[in-house]
Amino acid sequence: MEEERFLESIDPELAEFIKAKINSFTRWDILKLLYSNPHTVDTAERIARQCGRPVESVIRELEGMVRDGLLEMHLVAGIPVYSLSKNPSARQLIEKFLEACRNRQVRVRVVYHILKSREVSFGEG
Amino acid sequence: MERVKTGIPGLDEMLSGGFYPGSVNLVEGAPGTGKSTLGMQFIYNGIVKFGEPGLLITFEEFPEQYYRDAENFGWDFRRLEKEGMLKVIMTSPEILKLDLERVSGMVEQAVLEKGFKRIVIDSITHLERLASDTVELRNLEYSFVNALKRLELTAILTRESPVLLGGEMGTYPLSYMVDSYILLRYVEIDSRIHKAILVLKFRGSDHAKDIRRLEITSKGIEVLERFEGREGLMSGTPRRMAESFVEAFIRK
Repeated sequence: MEEERFLESIDPELAEFIKAKINSFTRWDILKLLYSNPHTVDTAERIARQCGRPVESVIRELEGMVRDGLLEMHLVAGIPVYSLSKNPSARQLIEKFLEACRNRQVRVRVVYHILKSREVSFGEG
Repeated sequence: MERVKTGIPGLDEMLSGGFYPGSVNLVEGAPGTGKSTLGMQFIYNGIVKFGEPGLLITFEEFPEQYYRDAENFGWDFRRLEKEGMLKVIMTSPEILKLDLERVSGMVEQAVLEKGFKRIVIDSITHLERLASDTVELRNLEYSFVNALKRLELTAILTRESPVLLGGEMGTYPLSYMVDSYILLRYVEIDSRIHKAILVLKFRGSDHAKDIRRLEITSKGIEVLERFEGREGLMSGTPRRMAESFVEAFIRK
């Protein structure tokens, strides 16, 4: 409830996107990397290196992001490679999110949301 | 025969008009000699001067870096990407190799759908690290070069030179396979570092044999006049040619 109030001042579509899809810092980093370098097509290991995050957590997030429609996964000779979704509405939301994050107030809210959602998941675990 | 112009002042003249269409061309140099700039300029000029869309493939540098560097020369890569004339792809060497080998891979699809004519791969050195010995390297590079030729792309492959000044010129398998081989070098003259360019090889074509000055200006690369009155330029530390030789053959 408290968290929902915290995201209240943000555009409703964007707030919904943040609540549903942005639940870790690694995920945020991956989106930032792939949005800033939009034609990147790479393996999980390389994406992890490019983000400077552990491979295991990046693999977990990449798989989740594919399920959430943010990324696409293709097999090249049996090796999974990931790229940003070509779906225009997904791209538009990602762009809206990352553009909004240029604003410090929005960034603070997203950080708070991620920390709260981690508390929930730790509590559940 | 038709040529693919680089549009780089002075370079097309060294290449007797430009590269051959569908050829694979190697540009080798130490860090900062202008390999990536030459590649970006080849792609940019292809789009804006000759209407040929281009692909830039990077293995290590982030595309963001290319957008920023290109902007410094007044080349708006982001706009060209939006217009579908350019694609800056970051991927792994092994994925690119596998992709080029398969039917309807990402590069092949991009070529078929968008009509890309030029490609720059920056840098091929990363691909070479996939091979554990020279036989494997030769096979890998042979298959890679042929895949590019199959797609009829005019390609520039950049290669990192391990030495800053001079050093022995190695004989890499790739240098035998490519259609042309351009060397970029640092040269020290009078306590100042200059950049030099040499077209070492151009299969089936005449080309300039002299070593020329290269400058990176606010508009990109410019190839200037040849170095006069010096010898041993490729060693990185040239000597003045004997005065008598200069008197006899150069000064009138």
